[in-house]
Amino acid sequence: MNNVTASLAADRTRQLRAAPTVLLAVAAVAAPFYFAPFQVFQLTMVLLYAVALAGLNLLVGFGGQISLGHGAFFAAGAYSTAVMLDRYDTGHLATLPVAAAGCFLLGLGFGVPALRLRGLYLALVTLSFAVFLPPLLKRLEPVTGGSMGLTVDKMQPPAWSGLAEDQWMYFVVLAVASAALLLARNLLRSRVGRALRAVRDNEGAAEVMGVRLSLHKTLAFAWSAMFAGVAGCLYTWVIGFVSPDSFSFVLSITLLAGLVVGGLASLYGPLLGAAFVMYVPSVSQDLSEAAPGVVFGLLIITVMFVAPTGLAGLPGRVLGAVGRRLPRTTAIPDRTPEAASAPDAEPRPTAAPGFSPTPAPADPAVADAEPVGAPPRTTEKE
Amino acid sequence: MPSTRAHAGADFLNVSNLHAGYGQARVLQGLDLSVARGEVCAILGPNGAGKTTTLRALCGMVRGRGSVTLDGTELLGRSPEQAARLGVAHVPEGRGTFNDLTVEENLRVGAHLRTGPRRRGRAERAAVAADLERVHGYFPVLRRRSRQAAGSLSGGEQQMLAIGRALMLRPALLLLDEPSLGLAPLVTRELFEIVRAVNEEERTTVVVVEQNAQLALDIAHRAHVLEAGRLVLSGPAAQIREDGQVAEVYLGVSVRSRKAG
Repeated sequence: MNNVTASLAADRTRQLRAAPTVLLAVAAVAAPFYFAPFQVFQLTMVLLYAVALAGLNLLVGFGGQISLGHGAFFAAGAYSTAVMLDRYDTGHLATLPVAAAGCFLLGLGFGVPALRLRGLYLALVTLSFAVFLPPLLKRLEPVTGGSMGLTVDKMQPPAWSGLAEDQWMYFVVLAVASAALLLARNLLRSRVGRALRAVRDNEGAAEVMGVRLSLHKTLAFAWSAMFAGVAGCLYTWVIGFVSPDSFSFVLSITLLAGLVVGGLASLYGPLLGAAFVMYVPSVSQDLSEAAPGVVFGLLIITVMFVAPTGLAGLPGRVLGAVGRRLPRTTAIPDRTPEAASAPDAEPRPTAAPGFSPTPAPADPAVADAEPVGAPPRTTEKE
Repeated sequence: MPSTRAHAGADFLNVSNLHAGYGQARVLQGLDLSVARGEVCAILGPNGAGKTTTLRALCGMVRGRGSVTLDGTELLGRSPEQAARLGVAHVPEGRGTFNDLTVEENLRVGAHLRTGPRRRGRAERAAVAADLERVHGYFPVLRRRSRQAAGSLSGGEQQMLAIGRALMLRPALLLLDEPSLGLAPLVTRELFEIVRAVNEEERTTVVVVEQNAQLALDIAHRAHVLEAGRLVLSGPAAQIREDGQVAEVYLGVSVRSRKAG
């Protein structure tokens, strides 16, 4: 009888958890019919950045490594697509798997130096990829078109769809982004994803359990680069133009900032972060024409102050704060682990394995969040 | 009876002339000891004697010189991951649970090596499920906490999780580093009883490093006392327990007074 109630409750929580996803899906499909073309374009860009951020999330949020060079993988995806379209006239769809596979291999290659480095040292080395790429693109003029960049055909809607260009592009990107986000989710729930998160939580303990550190760290880089490459490919499809200046190192920093603002190691973090990256610079432009960068920076600081776990962690924090202010039925606040684990306790990261804002929102006694980028806890002594 | 099984078979784990340390600090200076198959072996000694370092050398976390063989296979020079493949499961000091993973995920990481890309069959999955059941049998609390983040468990539960995770590896050799660290005496006693049960039911060879000599001697068949990186005493646990003077000198506890009282 207990089992029946438990499974009913489990069903209900599962439905509740699915609700935002369903609502989001409906809104996503309806959106291009309600908004003006420019707004649809902006939404397309949000989805595209979300793919890159989901990839970065695998590495930074779940892998505990750091990369300030993901703009380079993004650029590699964008340029490989542009070159294929420009020189080989392959058609748009053929470029996607090539960009994905190419960036996967590139990530595998760059993942090797990452094995020996951690924290700030890794950040510095990855930043150097991002700094070094634009000049390289300028030098390789015969292939990349140099500083002038390459202009290629945008993807055109087929006649049967009856959609405008912006709407068609939106749906294409929506389809790829959904597939990518789903892939990222399933990857994290798989054996490999579990090993990856175990390495982030405690490298030493993961290793004595037989997890090969080098393999999983390099794979994290490769998967992550692949997502960035796919996003770059979509970028070329949507914009139809690539130039070295589109992929300066600022792009890499913006991607990392977007992910942290959106929420590390969470499902919706990349989407929220992508929206932040897309909309906030234009909002800051409106607020201050003289110094949009300053406003953008201040907004990042504000978000991090209000929501240190990122935007994705905000609802949990708010609910937790409200819960603590509600009158209690028991006289003594119950803080024992048993009470904390009661099924209807305030929302905590434990509820959804794998996919929830990692840092515990409410209870400081339980909040054992690890600052990302910091070396993982180890059991060193002596 | 513990003593009947001790040294019943050939030595399963053989450590000879083991040197190990951290950088300039040489902790182990020629350690020799041997553990029989199916035995619970306690390593005792004061702080800094090299107990933890011994375990770390066995599982590949620190490099050592000399020789360590497990069932005839050399362990030194292998990575922790390779040692795990040979059936060495190390429960590190301070537990080392994966705090952002759920309890069940923690246990499944323990079965990581048994669910590789080439072992996706139904049989493997069933075996892992059976092992989850087995571990839940030893530690019922882990079943109740299955979907909870390991970081939200109490210290005792985390220690149980760490041991359960190691059991998921189906180890030939289980290394326990200070399982009693920071735990209430009652919890510690329960934990040691479970370790004894695991040893008796699965014939897992266990090497336990402990500050709490009395507890460790209660479940151990043999005990080795280390001081300053060398073995100073070894023998059947019962004998070491009776030797009150030894206990006082090397362990800093008065075992006899407890026995008398």
